[in-house]
Amino acid sequence: MVGNEAIVLEGASKHFGTHTALHPTNLVISRGQAALLVGANGAGKSTLLRLIAGLSRPSEGLLQIGGHDLQRTPEARAAIGLISHQTLLYDELTARENLDFFARLYGLTEQQQQLETALVEVGLLERQNQRVGSFSRGMKQRLALARATLHDPSILLLDEPFTGLDANASAILHHLLLSFLQKGGTFVLATHRLDAADGLVDRLLILERGYLRLDQALAGNLDELRARCAPYLDAVP
Amino acid sequence: MSFFGRTWAILRKDLQAEWRTKQRLSPMIFFVLLVLLVFNFSFELGGAALREIGPGVLWSSYVFASLLSLGRSFADERENNAIDALTMAPGDRGAIYLGKMLGNLVFLLAIEMMSLPFFALFFNLSPGFFLLPLLAVFLLGSACLASVGTLFAAISNNMRLRELLLPLLLLPMVLPALISCVEATGLVLADSRSDALYPHLQMLGVYAVVFTVLSLMLFEYAIEE
Repeated sequence: MVGNEAIVLEGASKHFGTHTALHPTNLVISRGQAALLVGANGAGKSTLLRLIAGLSRPSEGLLQIGGHDLQRTPEARAAIGLISHQTLLYDELTARENLDFFARLYGLTEQQQQLETALVEVGLLERQNQRVGSFSRGMKQRLALARATLHDPSILLLDEPFTGLDANASAILHHLLLSFLQKGGTFVLATHRLDAADGLVDRLLILERGYLRLDQALAGNLDELRARCAPYLDAVP
Repeated sequence: MSFFGRTWAILRKDLQAEWRTKQRLSPMIFFVLLVLLVFNFSFELGGAALREIGPGVLWSSYVFASLLSLGRSFADERENNAIDALTMAPGDRGAIYLGKMLGNLVFLLAIEMMSLPFFALFFNLSPGFFLLPLLAVFLLGSACLASVGTLFAAISNNMRLRELLLPLLLLPMVLPALISCVEATGLVLADSRSDALYPHLQMLGVYAVVFTVLSLMLFEYAIEE
């Protein structure tokens, strides 16, 4: 990586036909930062995350991940892991086969050992040979977490990851995010569950109708977080 | 990981999933057999009809059956949005295209091999070594269908009317290859001299290579938002 910037957006915007999902946005997220991305439905949170993930190309402006332009350096995508409310897994394959497939895609050298470790971390080692289609929502999301972190990314993008999780699965995700931060990782978390983000994030980004309205450091407690976010979460998309 | 390593990983995953579910091969083989059966009852087959309409019936059934498989090749990725995880993997996204294209090729070839004995039965075709060149026609014809079809399946995957759009895009595009497939199959069934077959095989080979290379170049744009 070049410099301390993990994610850089310079005037990056996204249009879908005549609709502007994200207006030109400038944003720098340094390594080790944990940003909470908040906004009403349709505010552009997912669009912003998909741009950073390289799943979507900016209509205008520049986007760099670890100093690399993802379009010119596709290998730089290895630095990113994505967890969304959808599992991004194959229901017809077993848990182990899913992880094995993604390990191959990322060219992991010590596949079997890394697979075991990942399965142990999310508590699914004993269910590794069962089809994902037979898993509960919580188990699927835990496996999704293992998939997203299997290649040891330095940046995690989380789009409503707590949706549908029970208390146990939420606690596992919370714990994994904390240990990810302790290892120097960077993450951007988009969620409506402010209680789940409590104690995890040190920066608040608020999007409203495709505009980045607020970008502030965050050191307060959950009440302060709720107070700052309330006007934007209540806004009509 | 190398480009071909990732291609193999995707092909292997698709074959593994199909082995479990049979959700592509089953409808395809039933469709092809039904078409052959319907034509068997609709026309007096055998003799001259074997050479005149047999190749057309065979390839029409393969083309329409291929739509069932091509449509599924990206629908499976859409189910849990797994396509996002696939496209976020590092390296050239052409590997996704090639893996999917080879998967479609394998499924088409499997259907062709399975349906051939039924074709021979319905059309009173006596088996023999003269049918061996048919393998080359099947391989090249299927490669043509899979090369263009996989790209269009990826394009239509992001659209609302994807089931309608795929045949509308694919059928006009594969027409030149389809004509060569029908002609070449007719020549094989008539046990003609092999030099009459070469121009058709060459045409199919060139078509498959050109469209595979083109698709590899365009695939990145086909799957991006």
